[in-house]
Amino acid sequence: MSTHTPERYHDLLHTPDGVRDIYGKENARKQKVLSRVLEAMHLYGYEDLQTPAFEYFDVFSREIGTTPSRDLYKFFDADGNTLTLRPDFTPPVARCVAKYFMDETEPLRFCYQGSAFVNTSAFQGKRSESTQTGVELINDPSVYADAEMIALLVECLQKAGLSDFQISIGNVEYFKGVCQAAGLDQDTESSLRDYISGKNYFAAEDLLKSRGMKAAQRDEFLRITDFMDDRDALKKVREATGNERSRKAIDRLIDLCRVIEAYGYGRYISFDLTLLSKYHYYTGVIFKGYTYGTGEAIATGGRYDGLLAHFGKDAPSIGFMIQIDALLEAMQRQKIEIPVDTHTEKIEYTEESYDACLEKAIRLRKEGIRTLLVPGGDR
Amino acid sequence: MNNTMQPLSGDRSQYLTIALTKGRLADQTMALLEKAGYYCEELENKKSRKLVFTNEEQKLRFFLSKGPDVPTYVEYGAADIGVTGSDIIIEENRRVYEVLDLEFGKCTMCVAGPESARELLKHHERIRVASKYPGIARDYFYNRKHQTVDIIKLNGSVELGPIVELADVIVDIVETGSTLKANRLKVLEEVCPISARMIVNQVSMTMKAQRIREVISRVREVVNSEKHENQL
Repeated sequence: MSTHTPERYHDLLHTPDGVRDIYGKENARKQKVLSRVLEAMHLYGYEDLQTPAFEYFDVFSREIGTTPSRDLYKFFDADGNTLTLRPDFTPPVARCVAKYFMDETEPLRFCYQGSAFVNTSAFQGKRSESTQTGVELINDPSVYADAEMIALLVECLQKAGLSDFQISIGNVEYFKGVCQAAGLDQDTESSLRDYISGKNYFAAEDLLKSRGMKAAQRDEFLRITDFMDDRDALKKVREATGNERSRKAIDRLIDLCRVIEAYGYGRYISFDLTLLSKYHYYTGVIFKGYTYGTGEAIATGGRYDGLLAHFGKDAPSIGFMIQIDALLEAMQRQKIEIPVDTHTEKIEYTEESYDACLEKAIRLRKEGIRTLLVPGGDR
Repeated sequence: MNNTMQPLSGDRSQYLTIALTKGRLADQTMALLEKAGYYCEELENKKSRKLVFTNEEQKLRFFLSKGPDVPTYVEYGAADIGVTGSDIIIEENRRVYEVLDLEFGKCTMCVAGPESARELLKHHERIRVASKYPGIARDYFYNRKHQTVDIIKLNGSVELGPIVELADVIVDIVETGSTLKANRLKVLEEVCPISARMIVNQVSMTMKAQRIREVISRVREVVNSEKHENQL
């Protein structure tokens, strides 16, 4: 018998900000959606890969270009090394692949699932621990690899139960090409990246003005803001693009559009050249998946041809990640049913009938029926 | 009513929801939207107790809320578009697209206090700062002035802070400066210019791309032509 009042324990019952317990129906729905998505990934021949929940800090360092250091959970091992809970899966997968497949030149396909951790307690209502599942396709620089990513993402979302969604596709190279042609310094490029990815074009224009860029050149720069929903619109932008690097970036998107249409998924995609990521490791095609009912992207991905080189393997790669929690939130708001089988047989036993009840329970469980054996009768 | 209004194009099956900031900003926003061809008669009835105002014809929905809540509604997609001051947008730091400077509701974010406090801002010594904008105040003192400060969050009448000696200085928006003057306070430093901004939900920008882009480009045209007129 406890000598303390119930209030005494109340402080112990809370979970820290940004993390929570998931149980009952909600958890059943989550597991169901996860398994559906993974099923789609396996259908494309992706192999499950598991990396540790924490790594050496250097795997997520600034040079790698992932989450800023202050948003990482850091701690020390017995030798004083700094360890970090993974904020996203791509750098660990890249490290793992570089380690075990150093000499492999054929394409490699991996999928993963698990928790990612970002220390964002400063902002209200944001998850510190989130469930992510995703794929990485390594050693394939082709447009067909890009298209496979988009098509697989479409199928993952369809399989999860979503029907109304859009995948917005951009190419980081376009932005880099324009910056290079304009001879912008790194600081300006970095601020510009923030403004453009926030669709804050007037701030971008002011910045370019303050850097002494001429009106005509500014206009060309801000053409990045044009919205493109099909190949023809892309072609128009291509004609107006002055530098080779950006033109090549558009050509890649036009090509990609063609292959995606061959998959039959043209209606799910649109193009947006302002799409830039906070992860600096992205080098080419980049995309985000959106649906109603959630304020954030449910999926993000892109090409990271330089990332594996940080781990000693030169391998062009592309991948994407689905935010399972955001996806579930959106599905709930869209009132999309996720049928979960929770039917359970219940057998009540008494002291006298226990043996017979147990026998029945064993038989039912062998048949694959969920069976509860609980005390009943006079109790 | 505006007869030059052109019919809206694009998918009309869904409403576009717009969050407005209660008060003068809402009136100015509606005046601007009207010039761009969007209107809401229901909103003009000031006595109405309704919370959500609809224009069935243009499939628009409007609601009024407190300024700091506008970015929240927009971030979570409860509103597709919002209009509020950039002071609030910076302070709330929500994941929204900031797409237009509407060029009204102009004022300046300032550090203000009694003349005697001017000296305190010249050194890196610890001072007390009262503000409705703790985020902006912290960013300014920590990252731009590199001065260590204690920030005290207040919810209104911030000018009281230095007068009753709760704080050495305040960080607040200043429009005409008359409130400061009446209380013998002065603008000591300017932090940044402020004006009304249009913000857009990230998902809506893609999912309702056509309609939202139409709103943005029409409103931008009006803003630019007015700016041009003012310059002449």
